[in-house]
Amino acid sequence: MRWMLLLLFISLSLPALADLDYVLKPRQIAEDTWLLEGSTDNFAKANGGNIVNTAFIVTERGVVVIDTGPSRRYGEAMRKAIAATTDKPVIEVLLTHHHPDHVLGNQAFSDVPIGALAGTTELLHRQGDAMAENMYRLVGDWMRGTEVLLPTRTLDPGVLNFGNHDLRLLSLGGHTGADLAILDQKTGVLFAGDLVFYQRALTTPNSPGLAVWLADIATLQGLPWTLIVPGHGPVASDPQPFLQMRDYLGWLDQLMRDGAANGSDMSEMIRSPIPERFAGISLSRYELIRSVSHLYPRYERAQMTRVDSAADK
Amino acid sequence: MNWRTSCLLLCWLPLAAHAADIEPGKDPVPSVMWAFYHKQMLGNAPFVFDDRVKLLAPPFAEDARQVPLEIDARAFKGEVVKILAWAELNPLPKIVDFQPLDRVLPWLSIRIRIEQATPLRAAVLTRDGLWHVGSTLIDAAGGGCTAPSVVRTEPGWEEHIGEVLGGRYPRGEFSRVRLQVAHPMDNGMVSGIPEFFINHAELRDQNDQLLARLELFPAVSENPNLAFDIEGAGQTRLVLRDNSGNQFDAAIP
Repeated sequence: MRWMLLLLFISLSLPALADLDYVLKPRQIAEDTWLLEGSTDNFAKANGGNIVNTAFIVTERGVVVIDTGPSRRYGEAMRKAIAATTDKPVIEVLLTHHHPDHVLGNQAFSDVPIGALAGTTELLHRQGDAMAENMYRLVGDWMRGTEVLLPTRTLDPGVLNFGNHDLRLLSLGGHTGADLAILDQKTGVLFAGDLVFYQRALTTPNSPGLAVWLADIATLQGLPWTLIVPGHGPVASDPQPFLQMRDYLGWLDQLMRDGAANGSDMSEMIRSPIPERFAGISLSRYELIRSVSHLYPRYERAQMTRVDSAADK
Repeated sequence: MNWRTSCLLLCWLPLAAHAADIEPGKDPVPSVMWAFYHKQMLGNAPFVFDDRVKLLAPPFAEDARQVPLEIDARAFKGEVVKILAWAELNPLPKIVDFQPLDRVLPWLSIRIRIEQATPLRAAVLTRDGLWHVGSTLIDAAGGGCTAPSVVRTEPGWEEHIGEVLGGRYPRGEFSRVRLQVAHPMDNGMVSGIPEFFINHAELRDQNDQLLARLELFPAVSENPNLAFDIEGAGQTRLVLRDNSGNQFDAAIP
C-alpha cells in the first residue's frame, strides 16, 4: 500500500517538474557562434528567469561559454543544448558580470574553469546568496538546487587565445562596477553583457554612476564590431543599441538632475512621464522605480548643503 | 497638545459625537489587521477610508531599508490636527505622528523601513474629530527592519551624527524644504544594538514660532529624509532630539 501511494505521488509530481523546461534552442548568429536568446520580460514563474542572452563559441580547442543563465536547471539545459550542437567539449566559461541571471547556472560547468573579472568574483561573493534567495522568491521551483558557485579563474583585460578565435577582453564597469565585454576578433561579434540593453530597460542596482556607463558605451561603440549581442534584447548589426543606450542613459541622468534641483522627492520621481520614444522599451516604468531608488540619493545630496549649527564650528 | 488645540477640540466635540454614525466605507486594501490598528492607533474613534488622503509609495520596495513615502492631505488644508502613519505588518509599525500647525501644508515626505509586503496607512484627524484614512499596498522581498545598519559600517560615523543636509526649493506660493539628517536610527532589532533614534522634531520660523511638530518612530530609515511644503518667506529652523537626549539644530535659509 505504501509503495502504491509512493508511486502515485511520484506519477503526480512528475508532470509538474517536467513542465519546467527552458526549451533552449541555440541560434547561430555568426561563424562558430551560437546565441540562446531570452525574453525581455521581468523574472517570473512563467519564464523561470530566462530573460537573458547567453552564448557559446565553438573554437577548434573546444567550446567557450559566455554566461550560464539564471539557475542550475538553465545551466544543465544549456549544457545539453551545446552537446546537441557540437561534439567538442566545453573548455571554459566567461562571466560578463555577477548578476544572478548570468551566473547561477555555474553549477552545470563546475568541471571547467569559470573565468570572471576579480571585481565580479568579489561582488558575487558578497551579494550572491542574497541574490539567489531573491531569485527563489521571483521564479520559484525553477531554482531548485541552485547555489552560488564562485568563479575559479581571474580574467584580466587583453586577448585570450582559443586556437582559431582570439577573444579580446575589456574590463569596464558602468553597469555593476565590474563588467566584462568580449570582442571575438575573428567574427567581430561583440558580447556586451549588460553594458548594453536593447528594447529592454537597463538596470542599475550596482551602477557606479550613469556617466561611467556612458563612457563605456563610447568605448564599446569604438571597437571593430560587426554584430552586437546585448545582455538583454535582440542582437543588432547596426549601432541602434548604442544609440538607444546613450539616449536612455542621458534621459535618466537629466531627469534626476532636474528633479534634485527642483527638490522633487523619490516618490514624485518614480511617477515621472516616460518619453514616447521609449515606448518600445520593455519594463521602463518598473526600472525607473528601481533606478530612482539606486541612484537618486546621490543626485539629491549634490543639491543640498550643510545647514546644521555644528557645520561652521 | 497646547491649549488652543484642546479648546478647538472641545468646541468640535458635538460634531465628533455625530461622526460616530459615519459609514467608514470599504477598506481599499486587503488587511487582516485593520480592526486592531483602528483600536490601537485611533482608539476606535470614528473614521472613513478616504482617497482624498493620498498615500503614495512605490508598488514594490527596491530597497526595503529606504522606502519613499509621500503623504498628501492637502485636500484638508486648514482642517488637519494631526497625521499618523504606520506599516501594518512591520514588527515596529509606527512611522510618524505629524502635526502641521502653522504655514506648513498637510503634506510630508519621509523614508521608511519595511520588513515584508504590507498595507500602509496614513490617518488624518480633521478638526471635526473624524479620521480620514488613506491606504496603499507595497510589495517587498523584505528584511528592511532587521538588516544590518549601513551607517554603522562607515568609519567615523559617530562624528557625523546630527549633521543635516538641507535645501529650499521655491514652488510658487510655498517652498519645498528638504532635509537629510545623519543618524543610524537604530530600531533595537539588529544584533544587540539598542534603540537609538531621533524621536522628536520641530520646525520653527525665524521668530521661534512653532510651525510643525513630529514624533518619529524607529520605522523611519537611517539617515532620515524629510520634506515639507512651507508657506511664506523667511528662514526655517529644524530642532531634533534623539532618545539619548542629543539635540541637533539646523537652519534652512
